[in-house]
Amino acid sequence: MKKVQFKSKYTQYIFLAPTLIIISIFLYLPIVQTFRDAFTTQDAFGFGRFFAGWDNFKFVLSDPSYLVALKFTFIYIFVITVISCSLGLLLAVQANKVIHGKSAYKTLLIWPYAIAPAVVGVTAQYFFSERFGILYALFNSLWGFDWTANIFDAYIYLFIAGSWKQISANFIFFLAGLQTIQKSVIEASLIDCRSSLRRFWTITFPLLMPTTFFLVIINITYGFFDTFGIIDTTTIGAPSGETKTLVYKAYIDGFRGLDLGAAGAQSIIMMLLVLIITIIQFRYIEGRIHYN
Amino acid sequence: MKFIRTKAVALFLLFFSISPSFAKTEIHWWYGNSGFLGDVIIEIAKRFNESQDDIVVIPTGKGSYEDNLSATIAAYRAGDHPHYTQVYDAGAAIMVAQVKNGVVIGFEEMGEKYGIDVNADNYIPQVKNFYADADGKMIGVPFNSSTCIMYANMDILKKVGVDVPTTYEEFEEIAQKIKDAGYIPLVQSHDPWIWTENFFSRHNLLMTDGNNGFDDVPTKTLFSETPEFITHWTKVKEWHDKGWYAYKGRGWGDNQAPFNAGEAAFWFGSSGSFGGIKDLPINFTTNQIPYWSSITGGKAYPTFIGGAANWILNGHTEEEYAALAKFIKFMGSPEMDLYYHNTTGYTVVTKGGGQLAETINFYRTSPYHKTAPEQLNLEGATIPGGYRAGNWPQIREVIYENFPKILTGELSVEEAMKRTDEGASKLLAQFAKTL
Repeated sequence: MKKVQFKSKYTQYIFLAPTLIIISIFLYLPIVQTFRDAFTTQDAFGFGRFFAGWDNFKFVLSDPSYLVALKFTFIYIFVITVISCSLGLLLAVQANKVIHGKSAYKTLLIWPYAIAPAVVGVTAQYFFSERFGILYALFNSLWGFDWTANIFDAYIYLFIAGSWKQISANFIFFLAGLQTIQKSVIEASLIDCRSSLRRFWTITFPLLMPTTFFLVIINITYGFFDTFGIIDTTTIGAPSGETKTLVYKAYIDGFRGLDLGAAGAQSIIMMLLVLIITIIQFRYIEGRIHYN
Repeated sequence: MKFIRTKAVALFLLFFSISPSFAKTEIHWWYGNSGFLGDVIIEIAKRFNESQDDIVVIPTGKGSYEDNLSATIAAYRAGDHPHYTQVYDAGAAIMVAQVKNGVVIGFEEMGEKYGIDVNADNYIPQVKNFYADADGKMIGVPFNSSTCIMYANMDILKKVGVDVPTTYEEFEEIAQKIKDAGYIPLVQSHDPWIWTENFFSRHNLLMTDGNNGFDDVPTKTLFSETPEFITHWTKVKEWHDKGWYAYKGRGWGDNQAPFNAGEAAFWFGSSGSFGGIKDLPINFTTNQIPYWSSITGGKAYPTFIGGAANWILNGHTEEEYAALAKFIKFMGSPEMDLYYHNTTGYTVVTKGGGQLAETINFYRTSPYHKTAPEQLNLEGATIPGGYRAGNWPQIREVIYENFPKILTGELSVEEAMKRTDEGASKLLAQFAKTL
């Protein structure tokens, strides 16, 4: 067999160059810059710059509202992941059973996935506006819902807005996952077990585990980073700063407050958090999943 | 022959198509207003461009005030900044601090440097002082200057049979009657600006140490140390519990909505809001913002201006600054000042504009425009006409994180003030480090 090889030692670098240049400019350079900002104190225009050591980190961690944002971020990610994964799975299982008009169902359920988070936020506003929101009126009549004053009501507002879009993403991946399960396995299980619920939990769901694992990671990343646009267009942290995520707070401090040092420090803390979560996922959870 | 003629025509066309852009000096002006106010800015630039042939002012909207400030900073760092940019009141300390770094050229300094008569004395004092440095030298060029005023729904007041209050004591006497008639007595749109910063100015109280930052770099806010301020917010909490005051979250428009819909009797907003609501089907008047006569002994003091100023950025050519100076002069002319005042409700910023308004009896036909200039021109204040405190946008954020908790009862007034002071001190210290 003929072996294809580059004659020059450097040819491969030429092929790598475009990707490397793009990654360096848009990824590595900003990371270096973030580290530099995190360890310096400077004014908004970059003057009065001096090395600050850990000052920015101390400043951020001693800020009570940072701990509030940290708590909210984890609650938010957890709830959004649970709601959107379970509803996505439910819809996928049901849609998989449909025989007539299958593609119509699919298309309609996938639609919200294409909507940008900021637009999701504006849409949610229409439902939760005190003046003309249907859900506001409904919840208000049930238990006096008021997201501007009550923390849990503000949570509900954001849970619904944040999960809605993500249900579509989960739906499409679960549906694809369901279709990769071999017919023979399903047929065999039909003979062995009459309860469809039990068949689902013992056969279908374990076979979907790789998809579920993938989706959990996707949802965590979404909750961490993409919900920014939703918060900025809905509660802006209402009632009093309790509904800011870490990313949103870093944005407020960096681009509204113009304190790049504090925002840089927050970005690095966030990077470490994401790193830890990823390690836990890959080391402890993935080991229990069987890919076929 | 034919070939030559075509060539000549082509050259001729080429010459005339490019020559105007060569001859005209371009001035870039970035702004942070949108909607109706953004349209007025475009109109101002258009009028200037049509008034002469040498200069083109190109206005570019960047979103909100905050968006424009961060866009300006990013552009400055990239070396691609405009000549002229609009920065709001809370960003004034940031911009004034940039004069020594050579980012901002002070308005008077530009005049001296390029031998241009900028006529700083033409601006009215309360406006001039807000954007001046410690020596009283003008840095920012006053533009859209508003102040907080009280809008009153006269239909509701007539129905209930009460008058417009001038003090909070009077408001307390009539609030229950308004509520009993099925209306919300009071809404207001901005906790930090209206009921914090301008609470202090309206009652002639200092808000930070260092004489509001005009004498020394401030190290703390005086919220928890000012008993009058604690009393005020204790009252606000009482009003909220009694249903005399409704809080609709931190959104400006959410709090304004009940007034626009004719459901609220009084709304505290900006005088610059007038242009946007004058055509609504409610019968309203503009009035000075109330004060506690028990605190001031019956005297009313001027409020701070709000809104924004335009700032001149360094790094352009002398020719361009000379062109910019012409534009500034155009905007500061009595006619343009009054035009802007009339269209938007922002106050006149020049003495010339004020005189012109008197001459043509402007306030007889538009009495509602008079409220803001009258409130701003009140005399007798001993505190400075503004505050110079860095990181103020973030301090406003701290206010938003603590003050709503007073209304929900999660924090006592004293505790909320204490926490805000603590948060503010840290932010002020952070800013002081970079000076």
